Amino acid sequence: MRPLSKFSLRVLSFATVALLAGPAVEAPAETCLSPYIKTLTEPEKILYLWALPGTPGEGEDFLAVIDVDLASASYGKVLKRVHVGSVGNEAHHMGYTDDRSRIWAASLNSNRFFIFDVRTDPRNPKLVRVVDDVAKVSGLSGPHTPYAIPGRILVSMASGPDGTGPGGIAEFTNDGDFVASHKTPDHPYETVIKPEFNRMITSSWVSQKTFESKPSDWDPKDFSHTLQVWDLKSRKIIQELEGDPIALAARWALKPGARYGYNISSGGNSIWNFKLGDDGLFTYRKAADVGRNCHPADLRQSPDDKYLYVSCFAGREIQAWDITDPEHIRLHDTVQGVVQPNMMHVTFDGQRLYFTNSAISTIDYSPNYSLQLIQIGPDGRLKLDPNFKIDFSKAPDGPTRPHDMLLN
Amino acid sequence: MTAPRRPAGSRAGASTSGATRRAWIATLSAAVALATCPALGALPGPVSPQPNLSVIAPAPDFRLVDSDGRQVRLSDFRGRAVLLAFVFTSCPGVCPLISHQMAGLQTALKRDGTFGGKAVLLSVTVDPETDTAAVLQQYAKRYRADSSGWKFLRESPERIRAVLDTYKEWTRPLPAGTIDHPARVYLVDPRGNIREIYSLSFFNETQAEIDVRAVLAEPDADAR
Repeated sequence: MRPLSKFSLRVLSFATVALLAGPAVEAPAETCLSPYIKTLTEPEKILYLWALPGTPGEGEDFLAVIDVDLASASYGKVLKRVHVGSVGNEAHHMGYTDDRSRIWAASLNSNRFFIFDVRTDPRNPKLVRVVDDVAKVSGLSGPHTPYAIPGRILVSMASGPDGTGPGGIAEFTNDGDFVASHKTPDHPYETVIKPEFNRMITSSWVSQKTFESKPSDWDPKDFSHTLQVWDLKSRKIIQELEGDPIALAARWALKPGARYGYNISSGGNSIWNFKLGDDGLFTYRKAADVGRNCHPADLRQSPDDKYLYVSCFAGREIQAWDITDPEHIRLHDTVQGVVQPNMMHVTFDGQRLYFTNSAISTIDYSPNYSLQLIQIGPDGRLKLDPNFKIDFSKAPDGPTRPHDMLLN
Repeated sequence: MTAPRRPAGSRAGASTSGATRRAWIATLSAAVALATCPALGALPGPVSPQPNLSVIAPAPDFRLVDSDGRQVRLSDFRGRAVLLAFVFTSCPGVCPLISHQMAGLQTALKRDGTFGGKAVLLSVTVDPETDTAAVLQQYAKRYRADSSGWKFLRESPERIRAVLDTYKEWTRPLPAGTIDHPARVYLVDPRGNIREIYSLSFFNETQAEIDVRAVLAEPDADAR
């Protein structure tokens, strides 16, 4: 065997350090985004909000640009609304492309994707493409969460092309061109990926036909109870994990090589733990009950894997869970008296948590729509910030339902 | 993992038959399967032996200049698999690691003569002002790049911008004097289609080798 040259040794040293340090990107910072997305490593200046009219079918959904730069004179103000040019969409979730140049904003009911350029001028997003034949090209409907992989977007789609039956994962280029569909036996809700294990997990909820109807009409037979474990690279499902119904948000622990994560079940009022074993198979067990009246809507995590945050849509509180011991998680703190809290977003430093309070227009129970902020102390305690609240019940265009957020 | 013996009569740099490539990919897949398949009771790694390589898009053609001053078009490599990386030589982050990994891939693909004849590596600079032909030559030498199958490409800033734009490879100067860019690697199949896009941060040369051999083993891979 030939001895290594000095240069080879230098490269090897670099490679070793890089591998030991995990992926050669900045340390995990902005949580709950795809690991392939360029991370934000400084305090946020802009919050993008994906919102829809208070009265469904009246007015256009829009992407709002909100100033969240503490040093700005317009801090806490809506700077701009970029309307989508059509009605009846039901703005819901959105996601960055891997290079953070575009936002994909999905509409639950109309099966459309709205692609915004946010790189050219982050304060003035431009709608560059509307993909409005999603059900036709993908054979799937009810787009939920766009999730970035290199050069492409995976979108969890709730159901078949007519809004019923099992859904799947639709794969598109960042520009909006269809690549492939990958069917599932359930109604996909969200996607999380851990590249070091080549594993993707999808959670699941209900079909498009169900979420378009009133909750009193929802048939429990349509509720999914499962997570699907995928071989990411082969796009094949290799294991199904069965738990409580309507398994919504899922989060993988952020530490490089972490083998576990959590998801919430809205139907079961519970937090579940999934864990990859030495045998390559996952176990899935209930980790905690969140309270009978909670009906959790979103799950977020701190950058240091110490806390989970749960929004109790019905329970009017936001919970912080201490997960320092992943096998024995415990309720750490709550903020109470917040009406129908829904989507949350934790900042790169884990010190702030923005939250909105509209789920979908068929299940909202209060018109007091708002965007608010919780300050998170070094001890993980939560405190509602009295100096930041945007009231969307009296917005200029009429009441507005605020849902998903991204920071920039 | 032990490399299969080179078939009698084969030589480095020469084309191999489809049967040889299929044998190679079967061997490589089996070896990786032993290491990664959860059904066999092992903790999975980042590599999958059975890649799904959907056609993502036609790869935009380009004409650039290699470090020896020769014009190179992407379409010159129809019939071969191309791994196309966007890097810059002064990069303090992931670029040195990706070049090191591509050097490893060069070695792996040379074992059965796939390198050069059936598979080509292209490193395109996103910083042509710094990365002159001489700088690229030195960089190639540092990684022991064999120019018969690994080329370092550049053009004038104006001309290369048009190429970078077609691959959505924007650049942004950072305060520290370095460059932010999307940092992707593309696998282009013998028919000129993009079949995989890798993040430089998560690039794995073993997976890339499996993917290269997979597109070369497809029935019509030899059709240009």
